[in-house]
Amino acid sequence: MSPSQAASDYDSRPWVAQYGQAIPLEPPPPRHAHLADLIRDASERYAKQTAFTTCLPNGMHGSLTYRQVADHSDAFAVYLREVLRLPAGTRVAVLTPNCLAYPVVAFGVLKAGCVLVNTNPLYTPSEMEHQFTDAEAEVLVIVDMFANKLEGILANTRIRTVIAAEVTQFFATVPRAVVRLVMKAWTRALPPIRVPHVRLARALAEGAAARAANAVDVAAYTRGQAPSSVAALQYTGGTTGVSKGAMLTHANLLVNLEQALAMGRSHIAEGAECILTALPLYHIFAFQFNLLCFYACGARNVLVPTPRPIQNLQRAFENYPITWVSGVNTLFNALMNEEWFTAFPPKHLKAAVAGGTTLQHAVAERWKRVTGTSIAEGFGLTEASPVVCFNPLSGMQKPDSIGIPVPGTEVRLVDDAGHPVPAGQPGELILRGPQVMQGYWKRPEETATTIRDGWLYTGDIAVMDRDGYFKIVDRKKDMILVSGFNVYPNEVEDVIAQMDAVLEVAVIGVPDAASGEAVRAYVVPQGGDLTEEAVRAHCKRFLTDYKIPKAVEFRMDMPKTPIGKILRKELRAQHLKTQAP
Amino acid sequence: MLTELETRLLSVMMIFIMLGMGSALTLKDFLIAFRKPQGVLVGLLCQYGIMPLLAYTLAVVLEVPAPVAVGLILMGCMPGGTTSNIFTYFSKGALALSIMMTMCSTLVAVVVVPLLLRFYTGLKGLPSEYVIPAGNVAQVLVVLLVPTVIGIALRKWNPNVGATTELMGGLLGVLVIVFLIVTWVPRNWSLLMTTSARVYAVAIGLGVVGMLLGYWLARGLRQDKRRARTIALETGIQNGPLGILIVTLTFTGTLQEEVLLVPALYSLFIVLTSSVITVWFRGVTTREELARDQAKVRTAPAAGRA
Repeated sequence: MSPSQAASDYDSRPWVAQYGQAIPLEPPPPRHAHLADLIRDASERYAKQTAFTTCLPNGMHGSLTYRQVADHSDAFAVYLREVLRLPAGTRVAVLTPNCLAYPVVAFGVLKAGCVLVNTNPLYTPSEMEHQFTDAEAEVLVIVDMFANKLEGILANTRIRTVIAAEVTQFFATVPRAVVRLVMKAWTRALPPIRVPHVRLARALAEGAAARAANAVDVAAYTRGQAPSSVAALQYTGGTTGVSKGAMLTHANLLVNLEQALAMGRSHIAEGAECILTALPLYHIFAFQFNLLCFYACGARNVLVPTPRPIQNLQRAFENYPITWVSGVNTLFNALMNEEWFTAFPPKHLKAAVAGGTTLQHAVAERWKRVTGTSIAEGFGLTEASPVVCFNPLSGMQKPDSIGIPVPGTEVRLVDDAGHPVPAGQPGELILRGPQVMQGYWKRPEETATTIRDGWLYTGDIAVMDRDGYFKIVDRKKDMILVSGFNVYPNEVEDVIAQMDAVLEVAVIGVPDAASGEAVRAYVVPQGGDLTEEAVRAHCKRFLTDYKIPKAVEFRMDMPKTPIGKILRKELRAQHLKTQAP
Repeated sequence: MLTELETRLLSVMMIFIMLGMGSALTLKDFLIAFRKPQGVLVGLLCQYGIMPLLAYTLAVVLEVPAPVAVGLILMGCMPGGTTSNIFTYFSKGALALSIMMTMCSTLVAVVVVPLLLRFYTGLKGLPSEYVIPAGNVAQVLVVLLVPTVIGIALRKWNPNVGATTELMGGLLGVLVIVFLIVTWVPRNWSLLMTTSARVYAVAIGLGVVGMLLGYWLARGLRQDKRRARTIALETGIQNGPLGILIVTLTFTGTLQEEVLLVPALYSLFIVLTSSVITVWFRGVTTREELARDQAKVRTAPAAGRA
């Protein structure tokens, strides 16, 4: 088959047949010029409804209505522009766990016409320093729990104002005082902040005062702001080296919001949903899906600061009529192990969506048995704002599949030369669409290797079936070449994971004198005594010879990303270090 | 011994503590406890099977004098104490199960305790006429039940108020425990100094060995580890004040003082040992929670994907 024939396998968009009545061919043109408009619009439409609720593990909670979110975020925007005198386009870094302060600050940054730089609160000081300096952030909003990490690094960055937020921000006086007392005296989670800073409450008060004194029109900050201007620098490690900032424009995020909603609109009643946000909002999945999509739809967003241990979600599920939940495999897996969840699954649940990593078969099946709803799996990446594919809630959902491309998105699977592979063959997933980022911030070379001829190269190997549903096979970089044969680590991992004595498994390729590369497995055993021979014997039953691990190493745990992806590159680096002379 | 005022104060504090305990719970927590009702039965078996037998065995093996044996067996036959709920709460145990066990064992105490006392003291040839004040049992039940229900209602009405009450109740619990230890030791210093090692052994051993046996029996009867730890605490922790009250109602003069020795020592040391065990259990529970987060979900039986 010629490449052009193969291309037509994808360019004919076989998945469109699955759209049915519910999903439009193209996403509707964004109704708003930029995110500030969208936020303002929703805030007015649902003014009196509850927008956000932070729910702590002991059930303590605080809430903000849409109107309060609007007022506070306006005040924050005025603080940035009038009090700190920042020009539009200034980068403002935000580093908080899920809490009421996050939407207020993030929306305020967007309303001020500044650029949001989401930062992972679990970063080490040196990782923070890298991100702050790379983004040239001038203001930092940081949760007070982690502000002590700034001591050694602040001087090396361009940050001139530090604003300290609280997990209990906007709580009623007594619960706030109780929680802070416990954090200070008992869990010692509130170290003293030794760098100059201003409290968020004070910043908001100053902003509100400046607004009243000068009769500031907050909307004027963004009036005329082009849709192509950058809304957020969203940092991503990718799988290569240092983390870099994907420039996501207002148009990127707004169109992707419509694209994502198109896949789930059939299950969303405007102004009546209640979504549980246990995934971190600084991550693009929850940022786009939980925060932007569901704010636009007038939902109540229940924010859980930390889902570990998963017990922390119990009161949130009990106290609020959760209708939607987004998660990753580890989160759904953990819930399935909790008696309080499986005995009394949420009664109002309409849908669950998963992204991030492959959803395991056993988890998906058990979830359906317990809750009566299925988990719709999707696929996305930071560089695509992030949604690329999803299983349509209104149509057929295929297990083990990432679903079909969202409206207005071209997807192809290509070989190393960039030529499309025939349908049914594995190839690298590339895409073209309005949600693709502008590029990496200040990294033209890396942008050029990632976006070629308008196509975003994801580095993920996928297969498309006859209905146009895609399935991720593996990361391209993780593919192992054993004596000229391709081995996909996921395939080997799936086989090993079937053993009950295996808790977690990761497979990588390592240099090998005889075969070029060799398959190497890492296993976290579950109780019992598991031997290398047993693992290899199990593999022999299901895999051809060259796919069987040459070595199996047992460990206590796996290196992981904050959302629970196992870091194969870290394992590889560790292995290479032990091999070094 | 505690003064009349202190005893009153203690029961008032207990009401507030149980209000806090109740605020930590929802109706669902009780429903989950009821999903495996055998937990309560296993608890009762530990309470009235293991503990009296253990007390009797200790009395026989260590050959303690008759008045001490009476006090010991009496303590062994007591229902679960309300402090077990505080310790279960702090050890992150199954609080709803603990409260139900305390209530059930107290409820059946009216009938079971006199029978057990008659049986075991009879075996040892000791006086066997005891008054179990029903009013006192009722009082324990009210102290448990009413505030717990109010606490649950509080949490349902407003989780912020519920969680605050829970923390206050917990704090009060710690204060009461510290108060008991701090005031009791100096006042009874001379008693502690003159008591023989053997009496110490039985007074401390009753609680510690009781917890150990309770845990094993619960595990043997297929209770999960968290429930087994809860049952262990419940088994080992007896209603000390009730035992003391019964002694003061039944005996007089120097005999009363001698019989009181074990209930009093037990009541002191159980607070110390339970505190240590609670810290340990809490660590275990936390580790288990984190491990469960990652534990694998298995496919339905025989649904192998080969």
